[in-house]
Order: sequence, then structure tokens, then C-alpha cells
Amino acid sequence: MIQPQTHLNVADNSGARELVCIRIIGASNRRYAHICDIIVAVIKEIVLNTPLERSEVIIAIIVRTHKELKHDNGMIIRYDDNVAVVIDQEGNPKGTQIFGIVDETQFTMGKDTIANIKTSIRNADMNRKGTIQIGYLNKK
Amino acid sequence: MRLEKCWFCSSTVYPGHGIQFVRNDAKIFRFCRSKCHKNFKMKRNPRKVKWTKAYRRLHGKDMTQDSTFEFERKRNRPERYDRNLAENTLKAIKKIDKIRSDRASDHIKNRLKTGKVQRQKEARKQLEQGIHLVKAPLALAQDSSLCLPKIKVNVSQAQIEENQPMEE
Repeated sequence: MIQPQTHLNVADNSGARELVCIRIIGASNRRYAHICDIIVAVIKEIVLNTPLERSEVIIAIIVRTHKELKHDNGMIIRYDDNVAVVIDQEGNPKGTQIFGIVDETQFTMGKDTIANIKTSIRNADMNRKGTIQIGYLNKK
Repeated sequence: MRLEKCWFCSSTVYPGHGIQFVRNDAKIFRFCRSKCHKNFKMKRNPRKVKWTKAYRRLHGKDMTQDSTFEFERKRNRPERYDRNLAENTLKAIKKIDKIRSDRASDHIKNRLKTGKVQRQKEARKQLEQGIHLVKAPLALAQDSSLCLPKIKVNVSQAQIEENQPMEE
């Protein structure tokens, strides 16, 4: 349930560290955003020496929310924090790596804008941590 | 489809039930219902919460080691479908379940055996002391069917002689 003024962490190496949601893209009066929704955000905190700057308005896609997401098969999943990934207008991610856990089933469901993000859910029993390489590289 | 165990109470979570919480270190906590979920959020330790399986196993209330538990191990490799195997497995599940529950109830029965005498003693005392809750004392005096059999006391001769002056 992300709404304007929500602080979000960033899950990629694009350079931003914390975002504040400004607007939810979709219907004009959309109240809340969930996983897989695109938001307009402003950068509040950055990692030094990266192309992004503080108070830059960017577009991001939400990958983890504290509010539980209900799947069609009846599964209800909740994460520990609110996290987004910075993307550009076409939907290509600005970073080259995604950190942390992302649910792949939500992102491969026919959304054209994020077709380039390849992610996978971490299986807790296999105890893997770390990063995932995105399918295509961001050429700068 | 997989039947999971609730992290808090260890009951099976069927598909369509409960909530999963994914922590940032990729550990998945599954809960069967909001009761367990809320207890988890309160940071309660299931090993200290009396109604959970974790507590019962830890304190020896329930059976912990048995060969029937080996059948229910989590297997990550999917088996190729074989009709005969599936049929036999379904039959076996029923049988193993029955054996396991019989053994578990035996375990509890044996556990409760040692306190039987004590419990009977307590029950007897409670009956003696609390008989007024069952029937009024006046009614009891007239019809003593609910009392425990009275112990007969032999009154000595000296006492009878002492009472006689009073009656006059």
C-alpha cells in the first residue's frame, strides 16, 4: 500500500538509496500502489559517485511491500520492507543488478514495461543470498 | 501444491490458507492462521507458548521420536508419476497416519498413568469438601445417599456417663 510520501528503499545499483513516492501511475485518482505497480518518485538519498542525483524525479517499480499481496492461487505473501527498483520511461531498469528477494511470478505476468527484468525468488531452504544479474546490461 | 507446516504451531497449512512472511534474509515464515501470525509479530517464542507443538515436543508431552516420522520427510526432488506408486502411496498414507496417531495417544496415556493415584486422591478430597455444592447440607443429613460411607467410631463408656447429667 504505497502512497505519496511513502519512503521506499531501492533494490538495485542505479545509485539511489531512498525514494519518496510522489504519484502512482495508472488511473488519475489511484490511492495505493502494490507490488508490480509503477510510481513516480523523488530521490532522497543517493550512493555517492553515481549518475543519479538527489531530488531527481524518477520512475520506479515496486518490488516488495510490507502490506501483503494476495495471489490468485490463494497465497498471501508479506515482506519486511517497502522496496522499489528504478526504471526509465520505457520500463528498462536503470541499474544492472537487483538486490534482495523479488517474486518472479508477479513480474512475468505479461507486463510489457518490465519484460526486461529477470528475477527469481530466493528459496529459503537453499539459503541463497546475494544479487541477480539483470538480463540486459545498462549501457552508459 | 505442497502442504506446509505453520512456523508457530506446526499444524499443516493447506493451499489458500494463511499468510507467508518473507524476511529480508530470505527466510520464509508460514502461518496457518492469524492467531499464529499475530503471536509471531508479538515476538513470542513458540517453544514457550503452551498450545504449540514446539512446546509440547520440548516438554515431552507429545511423541518426538518415532519411525513413522521418517515417512513425512520433505523431499525436494519430484517423483515421476507412476500410477501404481501413487495408489500404494495413498494407501500407505492412511495406514501410517493411523499407526502414528495410535502411538501418539499411547504415549500420552503412558504419560498420564503415573499420576492416576494422585488424581483419585484429589478427586476424593474434593468430593468430601465440596459436597455442599452438590446437595444442601440439610438435605444430606436426611438422605445420606450422596455421602461417602461414614467411618464408625466406637464411643467409650466413660463419655456416655458424662452426658447423662446434661440431659436432665
